[in-house]
Amino acid sequence: MKPGGDLPVAARRRRKKLTFDKVSFMAVFLGLPLVIYLVFVISPFVQAVYYSMTSWSGFDANMPFIGFDNYVKLFNDDIFMISVRNSITLAIFLPVITVILALVLATLVTIGGSSRGQIKGLKGAGFYRIVSFFPYVIPAVVIGIIWAQIYDPSSGLLNGLLNAVGLDGPANGMLGDSRTAMIASMVVIVWGFVGFYMILFIAAIKGIPAETFEAARIDGAGRFRTAITITIPLIRDNIQTAYVYMGILALDAFVYMSVLNSTGGPANSTLVMSQKLFTTAFSKGQFGLACAMGVVLAVMTLIFSALVFLVNRLTGGSKDVSN
Amino acid sequence: MSIQNKPLQRRGFLRGALATAVLVPMGGALASCAGGSGTAASSAAGGDVSATNPFGVAKTGALDAVIFKGGYGIDYVDFAGAIFTKNYPGVTVKISPSTDIAQELQPRFVGGTPPDLIDNSGAKSIGFATILDQLEDLKSITEANNLEGTKIADTLYDGVLAPGTFDGKVAAINYVLTVYAVWYSASLFKANNWTVPTTWDEAMDLGAKAKAQGKYLFLWGKEAATYYLTMAIESAIKEGGDTVRVNLENLKPDSWSQPAVQAVFGALEKIVKAGYVKPGGAGTQFTAAQAQWSNNQDALLYPSGSWIENEMKDQTKADFQMTGAPTPVVTSSPKIAQSGVRSAAGEPFIVPSKGVNVAAGKELLRIMLSKDAAVNFAKTKLAPTVVKGTVPADGFGSTALVSQTTMLDKAGKNIFTWNFIDLYGMNADLLVPWNSFLAGDLDAAGLTKALQDITDKVANDSSVKKIEVK
Repeated sequence: MKPGGDLPVAARRRRKKLTFDKVSFMAVFLGLPLVIYLVFVISPFVQAVYYSMTSWSGFDANMPFIGFDNYVKLFNDDIFMISVRNSITLAIFLPVITVILALVLATLVTIGGSSRGQIKGLKGAGFYRIVSFFPYVIPAVVIGIIWAQIYDPSSGLLNGLLNAVGLDGPANGMLGDSRTAMIASMVVIVWGFVGFYMILFIAAIKGIPAETFEAARIDGAGRFRTAITITIPLIRDNIQTAYVYMGILALDAFVYMSVLNSTGGPANSTLVMSQKLFTTAFSKGQFGLACAMGVVLAVMTLIFSALVFLVNRLTGGSKDVSN
Repeated sequence: MSIQNKPLQRRGFLRGALATAVLVPMGGALASCAGGSGTAASSAAGGDVSATNPFGVAKTGALDAVIFKGGYGIDYVDFAGAIFTKNYPGVTVKISPSTDIAQELQPRFVGGTPPDLIDNSGAKSIGFATILDQLEDLKSITEANNLEGTKIADTLYDGVLAPGTFDGKVAAINYVLTVYAVWYSASLFKANNWTVPTTWDEAMDLGAKAKAQGKYLFLWGKEAATYYLTMAIESAIKEGGDTVRVNLENLKPDSWSQPAVQAVFGALEKIVKAGYVKPGGAGTQFTAAQAQWSNNQDALLYPSGSWIENEMKDQTKADFQMTGAPTPVVTSSPKIAQSGVRSAAGEPFIVPSKGVNVAAGKELLRIMLSKDAAVNFAKTKLAPTVVKGTVPADGFGSTALVSQTTMLDKAGKNIFTWNFIDLYGMNADLLVPWNSFLAGDLDAAGLTKALQDITDKVANDSSVKKIEVK
C-alpha cells in the first residue's frame, strides 16, 4: 500500500484514462455489446411485458391496454393451469433424474474400474462414453419421431415387446394413456440428454487430481464412498450448472412435447406452457394473452434458478472445498 | 494482497456469467412475443381499368403471393401464375410456398407489408376473426367476369362463398370444394354384401358383422379425433334441423346439450362401449391410423373430408374403390334428409388491403377461377374446385371424385357447413376430450361437459370478437 498524499497522482491517472485508445476500446468492447444487449435482449423483454398487458391480437397494430386482465384470465384458465402443473412436474423430475443418472455413468467410466493399480474407469469405458453420447447428436425432432414410433400401440416396438412376453401393453400405447404419457415423454428427454451431461461430468472428474482418489483409496474408501465424499463435492459447480440448464430445458420442453404429442396428450396430460403459448398466439390470435404466458414462464424460470442457487448455498456450496 | 483470493474472485465472476446464461434462455420465452409498429405501405400505381383488366393491374411492378403448401401443393397456383405472366409480362410474379402461414406472415401483417394474395390454410392458418378488418372485400372478384367473359358469381357452386363471408363481407374465396362423408371401400363392401349404414342402429349391426370378421367399424388417430366431432355435428344437424347449427355456431349456452346432439353422442357412445372402435387411436399418429383403414382394412368406415383420397394415395390397397356416403342419422325421419351433406369450400384465398399490389392479387385469383386453371386443378388433384363443370362423368378415373359429385347431386339443396371451430381456433382444445371419448375413458355426459366448457370459455371471453351467424 502506498503512503498517503498521493491524491494528485490518482487525479493524473484518471485523466490519463481518457486517451483515444482507451475511449475507442471502451466504445467497441463495452459500449457496442451493451447496445446490442439492450436492443436485442432487454428491449424485447420490456416490450413483451408491455404486450402482456394489452389485448393485442398479433396481426395488427392495434394494442388496447387492459392492465392485468390477461393475468387474471390466465390464473382462472383451467387448461393453462394444467400446463403450468405439467411444466413444474417436468422441472422437478427431469433435472434430478438426468443429473443423477449422468453422475452415476460418469463415475463408472472414470473411477469405477478395477481397484488395483491406476484409478481408471470400467473396461471399455471409451465405448460406453461414445455410445451414450449418440442421442445428443440426433436432432430433438428426430428423437421425438423415433420414440413416437416405438410407443405406437399397433406397430410399436414397446407394445410389441410387452405383448411378446405376455404382458398386455397399454391399449393406446404409453403416449396415449393419460397415466403414462408424462412418464413416457420424460424417458425420451432423459434418454436424449443423459449422454451430454455425462460427458460434462467426465470432464469435471478428470480435472480432479488422481492423487486425491488414490489417497482416499489408501484410506480404505470404497467406490461409492469415494463418489459421495470426493467426487460430488469437488464438481459441485458443474452439477449446479447442469441442474439449472436441465431445469430451463424442462420448463421449455416445447420440441419434445410437441413432436411426441402435438395435441397436448391424452386429457392434456403432457401439455406444457410453451405449447399452450404457441397455440394461443398463432392459432387463436391472442398475442397479448400469449405474452402474459411468456412472462409467467420467465418468472417461473427465474424462481427455479434462484431456488437451485439457494439450495446449493444452504447445503454448503459456498465453502471452497478445493483448498 | 493475497494471491489465494484470486481464484475465488474468478469464480465469483463465473457465477455472474452463469447468472447471465440463465437469463438468456429465459429471454427466449419472452422475446418470442416480439412485435413491431405498423406503417402503411405505399401501394403501386394503378393501371387502366378495362373489361380485360377489371382491377386495373399496372403494367409493371411485382406480385407477391404466399400459398399454403399442403396436400394440394402450390403448382396449381404456379399454373395460374404462368397465365398471369403471359397477360402482364412486365410484372414480376413471385409465388412462395409456406407450411406455417400464421407464424410466417404475422410480422408482415403487423408491419403493414402483407403479401398480395395468401392461401390461408393448414393447421397453422391465421384465425379469421383476428385479421378480418385488414382484408379486401372480394365481392369485386365474383362480380367481375372470368377470362372467358362470364360473370364469376354465375360459374360457382351454390353456397361456396358462405364459409368465407363474415358479417356480409366476402373476406375469403375458398377455392377447393370439400365434401365431408363417411368413406369406405366399395370393393370390400360388395364382397361381403354389406350396405353402408344410414342410421346409427344400422351402424351398430354393421359393427357386429365387422367384429365377426375380426374387424372394427371405425378407427381414429390422435391428431384427427375431431373428424368424429365433424361427423357428429353433421348427423345432429340433419336430425334436428338448422337451429342445431345456428345454436352451435353462435356458441349458445348448453348448445352441446341439444337433444339432437345428445342423441348422436349417445349412439356413438354405444358404438365405443360395444368395442366397435379400434383401440389405440389416442396413441396413433393420424396418417398411420388412416393407413390401417385404407391399407390393412382394420376398420370399415372412416369419417373425413374428400381430401382423404389424395392424402392416402400411396397407402391405399389396390382396388380399394374409395367411396363416400352421407353420415348416418339417429332416426329414419330426420328434419333434413339423410342424403344431406356438409360441403365446404376449403383453401381460403385472401387479399390483404395493405398489400403493395392489391389489384394483381385479385387478378391472380380471377385467373384461378377461370376455366383453364380450374380444370387443371380438378385433373391434377382429383378434387373439384368451386367452379362448376370441371369434372367429367368418369371423374378422371377416381371413384371418390365420382361419389362426391353424386353426393352433391343427391343432396340437392340440403348442403350446409359451419365455421365456428376454425373461426375461434378451438380444434386443438376439442381434440383432447374427443380422444378420451373414443378411447372409452369419457362417457357422453363427460364429453358434453368438456365441449361445453371449451365453448363457454370462448363465448364468455370479451376479448374474442364474435361473429353472429344466421
